[in-house]
Amino acid sequence: MRLEIVLLVVLMALVTYVPRMLPSFIIGKIKIGKKTEKFLRLIPYTAMAALIFPGILNSVGDKAYYGLAGGAVAALLAYFKCPVVVCVIAAVAVDYILVMLP
Amino acid sequence: MSNKNGIGAEMLYGAKAAIPIVLGFIPVGIAYAIMAKGAGLNALETVLMSVCVFAGASEMMAVEMYKQGAVLVAIVLATFMMNLRHVIMSTCIFEKTERLGVFKRLFLGFFVTDESFAVITSEKKRCSFWFFASLGVTHYLAWVAGTAIGALAANMLPKSLSASLGISLYAMFIGLIVPGIKRNLRLLALVVGTAALNTLLSVFIQPSYSLIVSTLAGAFVGVFFVDLDGDKNADGKTRSSEIGDNLPAETEEAV
Repeated sequence: MRLEIVLLVVLMALVTYVPRMLPSFIIGKIKIGKKTEKFLRLIPYTAMAALIFPGILNSVGDKAYYGLAGGAVAALLAYFKCPVVVCVIAAVAVDYILVMLP
Repeated sequence: MSNKNGIGAEMLYGAKAAIPIVLGFIPVGIAYAIMAKGAGLNALETVLMSVCVFAGASEMMAVEMYKQGAVLVAIVLATFMMNLRHVIMSTCIFEKTERLGVFKRLFLGFFVTDESFAVITSEKKRCSFWFFASLGVTHYLAWVAGTAIGALAANMLPKSLSASLGISLYAMFIGLIVPGIKRNLRLLALVVGTAALNTLLSVFIQPSYSLIVSTLAGAFVGVFFVDLDGDKNADGKTRSSEIGDNLPAETEEAV
């Protein structure tokens, strides 16, 4: 194991861990108003939207429609109240079939 | 749910909630390990990075930069910038977690990821320490296992399967977000708008920055035109179909 890599790993671990851990010590110390609370409640939705697009377009192989097809299946199943695991497995299955198709 | 259920039930619930992430992390871990190998890292170094850093996108970026001969400081700085989004996510996560002591917070902080954020913030109730810890450790082990598989036996998984598994994390995000937006047209519009903004922005700026900008901009706009509270009641019903949401009832009986 090279020292250079160990040093890189240690420093990366540090700059990754600190932003993850720090907010837990700030919360509770600051009073949050109604507007800010609503803002924080909206973030999961907007963050997930941004995590899905455009990443999903490059998620499977080199064709954007693979990702879109898998995503559409997951969305449809989620709409009809399927558990998340089922959405994931069905999306993978559909994409597996698409990838296997000649 | 924090105090009603036993520790075992909470841990089981957390591990169950992690299953979709596990399905996604194994193939991504393999993909990272293959990239790391291409950049000249040996198996031990590859796995060490996953064990210590636990951030897929950053690790991939780091080994790519290393391969291109970037100086160490540049890689570390890029990693830091990329992970700034976790400040926002961590804030939301710890808002939703029961009050905890210093050491428990120090421990859980390590497990703040895009994926744990998605699962925890989609929960209806406040999260207990044991739920979060179990979710965290489970998806951490999956990430390390995926990396180890990739480093030691990259060709174990057939190509078509590992390619199709690439959809799993996205399918999970979709599965988590749909129940919340399907009865709230304005929230749906906000989600679509944010997705469009991020798609557009990431053409011009680094994806990790565009994610931060569009997340914050979307939520800011949403404060003024989305009605979350009116949605709460309808939401309560639709959410009940989510992973394990019917579990507390079951376990309460069991306990």
